[in-house]
Amino acid sequence: MTDAIAVHDAQLRFGQTVALEGVSVSVPQGTCFGIVGESGSGKTTLMRAMLGLQRLDAGEIRILGTPLQQGRAALTRRARIVQPIFQDPAASLSPRSRIRTLMNEVGTVLKEPHAATHERLLVILKRLGLPDSVIDKYPHEISGGQARRVAIARALLMKPSILIADEPTAGLDVSVQGDLLNLLQDIRRAQNITLVVISHNLAVVRLIAENAVVMRAGKVVEIGEVGALFGAPREAYTKELLAAWPSVTHAASV
Amino acid sequence: MSEAIWALKRICSERDGRLGLAFTIAILAFALLGPLVSPDPNVLDIKARFAAPGVAHLLGTDNLGRDLLARTSVGTRYALTLAVLIVVISSVIGSLIGIVAGVAGGWVDRAVTAVFDIVNAFPPLILAFALIALYGKGSATFVFLVTVVFIPQFGRMARARARTLRNLSFIEAERMLAVHPVTIVVRHYLPNVAGPIIVLASMNLPVVIAFEASLSFLGFGVQPPKSSLGTLIKDGFVSINQSWWPTITAALVLAVATLGATLLGEALRRVIDPKSAGAR
Repeated sequence: MTDAIAVHDAQLRFGQTVALEGVSVSVPQGTCFGIVGESGSGKTTLMRAMLGLQRLDAGEIRILGTPLQQGRAALTRRARIVQPIFQDPAASLSPRSRIRTLMNEVGTVLKEPHAATHERLLVILKRLGLPDSVIDKYPHEISGGQARRVAIARALLMKPSILIADEPTAGLDVSVQGDLLNLLQDIRRAQNITLVVISHNLAVVRLIAENAVVMRAGKVVEIGEVGALFGAPREAYTKELLAAWPSVTHAASV
Repeated sequence: MSEAIWALKRICSERDGRLGLAFTIAILAFALLGPLVSPDPNVLDIKARFAAPGVAHLLGTDNLGRDLLARTSVGTRYALTLAVLIVVISSVIGSLIGIVAGVAGGWVDRAVTAVFDIVNAFPPLILAFALIALYGKGSATFVFLVTVVFIPQFGRMARARARTLRNLSFIEAERMLAVHPVTIVVRHYLPNVAGPIIVLASMNLPVVIAFEASLSFLGFGVQPPKSSLGTLIKDGFVSINQSWWPTITAALVLAVATLGATLLGEALRRVIDPKSAGAR
């Protein structure tokens, strides 16, 4: 089966800084893939490259077998396949628009009547545990946790087959983190969505992902099945990373 | 609407804001109501030349016996109309050009920035003289040249704001949803650029009023028999030995108009700019 996302030998520099160097990653369809690493390891840059928000100096990224292309037509096609959930979901919602307006934009993109979008939205909101009243609010009128769910709802409204979540649990209470991860897992399984989770929190990736890549300074340190990766790491850096996270065993129970 | 009321309340909560608002309302009332309580500004009454302020002529008369209340009021109305017209046109055109440059980036951005730099390289008065030499005197020329001078100011601010917005998550999220670029500009860029543009517009109003008065004073603005604050000051200045009130009256109105607009603009800036106004 074609990989959901295939990154081949991605190279990117910002001036003298190496952002990505020889990164090759394959994300099988319908699985959850984790990208872990410390700050500045290139996780978010890789995510932005996967979304087409960041052009590579060299290398190739394929989404469901199709190379990433620039241009409006390619973007429109890609938007129906890949959707991001940004690290700061509140900041990813336009501050001067009501949630309803933001959701209706999805309907317009999909060329769907607003009533039909609204109906689908209500189902998604219910599934995410959000009240219907949230759609009449402005982003600043909802909590951080609600904003994250609204961002997920908007992404799901596009009916994507790939979701890329950047630090999906950042800034949330531990109990809410668990709920959200379970929710993402449920949605992924129910809708056969490929989920890419970017996190510096090893516990999150260990809990939710089947495969993962460990990154450092823009390079792939180790890649493989999560159990093997965290159970018997081959690379010294992965061992260091695991050792630096004494909370992993506790957090895994979240 | 609620934001406008909120802004008005904040403006009224500080002394300078109240003063600016009071001056501006007074000047607006003077410009709007003046002609209703005074005779035709162009009617000559030679017998009443240089009449001092009194019951017949509340602000006196000029060297041709024309009522100064009517002429000052009409001049103020003219100055305010031109200022609002110029600021609105230049802010709308400048904002659109700036946003397009900021959003598009690349050669479009470089070309627009270069044009803005070229226009800004000329001192406004020198540019005004050059354009007047090319197109002649008159209100249309004045509106055109001042608009040209002010477009880069609004354009630069809109461009800078658009460049910042372009990399913010909510704009990237809109792009990732493949929302049409025009929709993104209208719905998400414009409202977020509007605040600083409104502040700049309010700060530029007094500048345009003073600029119009300067050009008219130098004889390049409004032509007789029309009246403007600049021509009133100049005409009064010529005969200041016979009567001081034409110059003083027009200068006072000009001072109050520019001071009011400046104080109001400053207050609006403090209200809208969170860095100086505090968190909302």
